[in-house]
Amino acid sequence: MSRESTESEIDSHDASTDRSTTPRHDEIDYLSREVNLLKPSTPFMRDHLKVIWTGFIAWALLTFGPPVLTYFAPATMTARLPVIGFPMHYFLVAVLSPTSSLVLAFIYSRKRDQLDERYGIDHTASQTRSTSESEAAVADGGRVE
Amino acid sequence: MTPSVFLQSGDLLPEALNISFKLVPAIMVVGMLTLFLAIGYVFKVADTEGMWVAGRSIGNIENGMAIGANWMSAASYLGLAGLVALSGFYGLAFIIGWTAGYFVLLIFLAAQMRRFGKYTAPDFVGDRFNSDTARAIGALTTILIGFVYSVGQARGMGLVGLYVFGTDYVTMVIVMMAITVGYLTISGMMGATKNMAVQYVILIIAFLTAVYVVGFTGGYSTVLPHIEYGQLIGELSTEFSEPFVNAGFYLWIATAFSLIFGTCGLPHVLVRFYTVENEKTARQSTVWGLFFILLLYWSAPALAAFGVDLYDASQYGPTFAANGGMSGGEGDLIVVLAAQLSNLPTWFVGLVAAGGIAAAIATTAGLFITASSAVSHDIYTNIINPDATQRQQVFVGRATIVALGIIVTVTAFDPPALVGELVALAFSLAAIVLFPMFFLGLWWENTNRQGALAGMSVGLALWVAAVVNDLIFHFSDLFAEFVPAIGAALVGTPLVFVVTIAVSMATDEPPERIKKMVRQCHSPEPMGQQQSAEDVVMSADGGQSPADD
Repeated sequence: MSRESTESEIDSHDASTDRSTTPRHDEIDYLSREVNLLKPSTPFMRDHLKVIWTGFIAWALLTFGPPVLTYFAPATMTARLPVIGFPMHYFLVAVLSPTSSLVLAFIYSRKRDQLDERYGIDHTASQTRSTSESEAAVADGGRVE
Repeated sequence: MTPSVFLQSGDLLPEALNISFKLVPAIMVVGMLTLFLAIGYVFKVADTEGMWVAGRSIGNIENGMAIGANWMSAASYLGLAGLVALSGFYGLAFIIGWTAGYFVLLIFLAAQMRRFGKYTAPDFVGDRFNSDTARAIGALTTILIGFVYSVGQARGMGLVGLYVFGTDYVTMVIVMMAITVGYLTISGMMGATKNMAVQYVILIIAFLTAVYVVGFTGGYSTVLPHIEYGQLIGELSTEFSEPFVNAGFYLWIATAFSLIFGTCGLPHVLVRFYTVENEKTARQSTVWGLFFILLLYWSAPALAAFGVDLYDASQYGPTFAANGGMSGGEGDLIVVLAAQLSNLPTWFVGLVAAGGIAAAIATTAGLFITASSAVSHDIYTNIINPDATQRQQVFVGRATIVALGIIVTVTAFDPPALVGELVALAFSLAAIVLFPMFFLGLWWENTNRQGALAGMSVGLALWVAAVVNDLIFHFSDLFAEFVPAIGAALVGTPLVFVVTIAVSMATDEPPERIKKMVRQCHSPEPMGQQQSAEDVVMSADGGQSPADD
């Protein structure tokens, strides 16, 4: 059980309050940590899943909320909106819901980048390194900023 | 309007369409296709690496456009507006279904898939569950999806072709499919991806121009037709906006659910994540892709509303007449009809029609590539002939494209449903069979081979039963009510989840090597462009490559 104790030791660091040293992610061997959506085993996955579940719940409400409300309260939901003239249910489903997915996708992408930053992960650096390593990379000039 | 999900194919022909040969639109279509072929020729590649994933070297905006072009098939360009025009509020379930899924794909699958680093969906299933049977079921599903989806495209191409070239529907289907297949056999995916950015630009310009010009000349809108059509909706007949009249609440939710989770299981969407440099690019290009898709999805209901109003006012209207009204073929062509009924010049209507053809060809290209690699890579090379040379693989891939092209063409002569509905069938299949495998495979390391095989078999059987019941041989009203083919995933996906989890728990855990591959997909450590999770796991094991491959 020596490995177990090391794991909890490493993880306990992130329970401490100092944010800058919070994720002791250099010390974690990710290949030995279980992957289970319902039982995140590393601080990184815990943090990541917080972002994912928050986004997912917001998405589910915004996507399925309007049709469900329309079903249960048709009179209220089909009232015409002032100025733009849409029946409300139509506007919510045709315009608001799809747009909210885009906004949430953008927010998630930003949050995940911030998470990477907090854990000191740099995809760009790995990119340059691996390209020079792998002989004759077939890159045709497509580059990430 | 017909309350049933599937309209009769008898009302295929678009009476209101001006069917004749038109020179300028014909030149536009031919010129556009020539441009595609020329670009395809420039990027012609002979090796298999280049053929399948374009050397994994495409940036996020370009990849976003390719995602957009892949996505915006005839189903989006023509079928979506058609569904909104014919089925009113039910049509909006398709708008939700074909956009919202990208968010789920992004948060749960995109980056992890990229890290897993395999070429195709069958490859993922085969390697993750370490089973050639799983690979074969994955490949079969991929081919079925490509087939159903392409039939929808062929119907769209055939109908639009009528406006441009005249002749008759069957001839047009043959001509258009021949062009698609000819183009694909010449260029591989390298060319295809380059084309896809070009095709995206052409078709989004064509579509947006149509919305703006039709809206402006009809006096419906000025600067923002995407919002301004709201006023019109109140004036159109109630069939157009009243909720749950054309289809009930259950069918609405089931359809949206199927399309959303189908998005997350669609092989030709997933293959786009292998063409990018790293997981960050995979994420960013998903966001870009969704934006590019929405440019069209914000506009389609507006154009549908304009089209319905113009149709009402024309000699063919009203749209929702007790007898007749708008036919299925006219619905699928509402985008072109809206421009034609606005009395716009022929070249302009031709531009809109050309966009529809571009949309259909772009998507069919992606689907055929995916299906062909499923056959040549996953079935032929991995199962039938492990010693296949690159020449043999490329040959099998091309032969598959031709064979599939012929089958799709023949089926499209008498398609059993609207463009959008046909494509939706492919989504419900992807949502039932592939999405649970991707999701559980990536998020629960204990998902094992037995679980995956049981889950996929149950899912495939359920989908086939639903399609047979709805389209071929009706055997149960109750089954049709709760498992409509188009929305079969609302029942099917949770069922496959339960079966897969239960069987996985009842049988042995997967080997440590597989678990490590799953863990590698979730590790925050960056990976190289050419690396797969398997490579990392093997080098971490000190280069001891396991002999079970």
